[in-house]
Amino acid sequence: MSLSEEQREQISGLGLPQSIQEALLDGLENEQFTKAQFDEVIGQVKSDYDHAGVEPCEAVGVIAAQSIGEPGTQMTMRTFHYAGVAEINVTLGLPRLIEIVDARKIPSTPTMTIRLEPDYARDRDLAREVAWAIESTSILHLGSIATDLAEMNVLIELNHEALAQRKITDEEVAETLRSETGLAVEMRDGMLVMAPEEPSYRELLQLVEKIKRLSLKGIDGIKRVVIRKEGDEYVLYTEGSALKEVLEFEGVDPARTKTNNINEIGEVLGIEAARNAIINEATDTLREQGLSVDVRHIMLVADIMTCDGEVKQIGRHGVSGEKASVLARAAFEVTVNHILDAAVRGDIDDLRGVTENVIVGQPIQLGTGDVQLVAKRRDEVIQ
Amino acid sequence: MKAEKYTRYERARIVGARALQIFMGAPVYIKTESIDPLEVALEEMRLGVIPITVKRDRRTSR
Repeated sequence: MSLSEEQREQISGLGLPQSIQEALLDGLENEQFTKAQFDEVIGQVKSDYDHAGVEPCEAVGVIAAQSIGEPGTQMTMRTFHYAGVAEINVTLGLPRLIEIVDARKIPSTPTMTIRLEPDYARDRDLAREVAWAIESTSILHLGSIATDLAEMNVLIELNHEALAQRKITDEEVAETLRSETGLAVEMRDGMLVMAPEEPSYRELLQLVEKIKRLSLKGIDGIKRVVIRKEGDEYVLYTEGSALKEVLEFEGVDPARTKTNNINEIGEVLGIEAARNAIINEATDTLREQGLSVDVRHIMLVADIMTCDGEVKQIGRHGVSGEKASVLARAAFEVTVNHILDAAVRGDIDDLRGVTENVIVGQPIQLGTGDVQLVAKRRDEVIQ
Repeated sequence: MKAEKYTRYERARIVGARALQIFMGAPVYIKTESIDPLEVALEEMRLGVIPITVKRDRRTSR
């Protein structure tokens, strides 16, 4: 039995969020049930939903702060997790959580998880090709570099196996060196020879350093790529992050590729993606430490951080520092400066928020303090 | 008697305000043995006879 039009209307009339309505419809579709059973199911869903909701006037912000803060005290101060086989380390634990709420422009250990299109994901060789195309290749990956002090030359010996593996030719290497340094590059018995502008020892060493730093192929920010098999697909983990560039690569599945740099997600995919990234990163960090915090607390934090359309930190340069009320800002940090500046500007405090009213000693707009009593009309009074 | 849907904060405020009225000598709407104004107010709340309600402006009531 499928759902009748009337039953569908009954479900949409419950005032449930879209996702729950859809789940309910999915679950009920093609199931056998009587009228009474249907009523029981939707009745139970509705009452569970209402039960999970929070009452008006509840101090959700304080509860969220406590609910994230308390497990935070149990987190390890300094932990590093080695993702995959080895080597790529990712900041986790308390430092990572702080990094998330501080909305740092670049996290201390940027990493990406790159998932591939089905054809590439199953084939080890194709996956490796993508990895090499993405990984930033320096001259040291391709051969060795030496100086000839007698001739004042830089000699670059290229390993042709490495060149073939990374699909780059020695002409291409020479061309990149030429355009990046602006110097002539000669080919002499399988070696690239370069000379600095001035034949001095210092210039020579500087040139070597410059050549070592050059990115010949791949994406500049991505220092290393590790391939790991997960289930039946190969997944790439990177050290360094460049979401925008990586998403354009052939074989990369843009829908399942992510980075731990929240600001980057905000710039590339938009503010709602950044909000989800904050929620996911914070939950994962807490879960990795064996702590479970209700998502709704983290969602509240993520919402506050992103509600202006850009990722704001919780703190001086973000949420706390941008409060409209002078007294609320003064309560947070550098009290005297805030009050002095406000006095100079002649600011007005409307005493709308909680902190301001606590300071001046008025009831706050929370809990019983936000209830306005009125006498019942005579016809409403039960005799 | 119909039970209006109040949040716990609204119930607390209403009972508190009513208990204060009773304490200050307001006529009681129910028959009771109790002499504690708060207990009387709670009993009145349970029966829904308190002539006080709340004004909700900014929020939509649930």
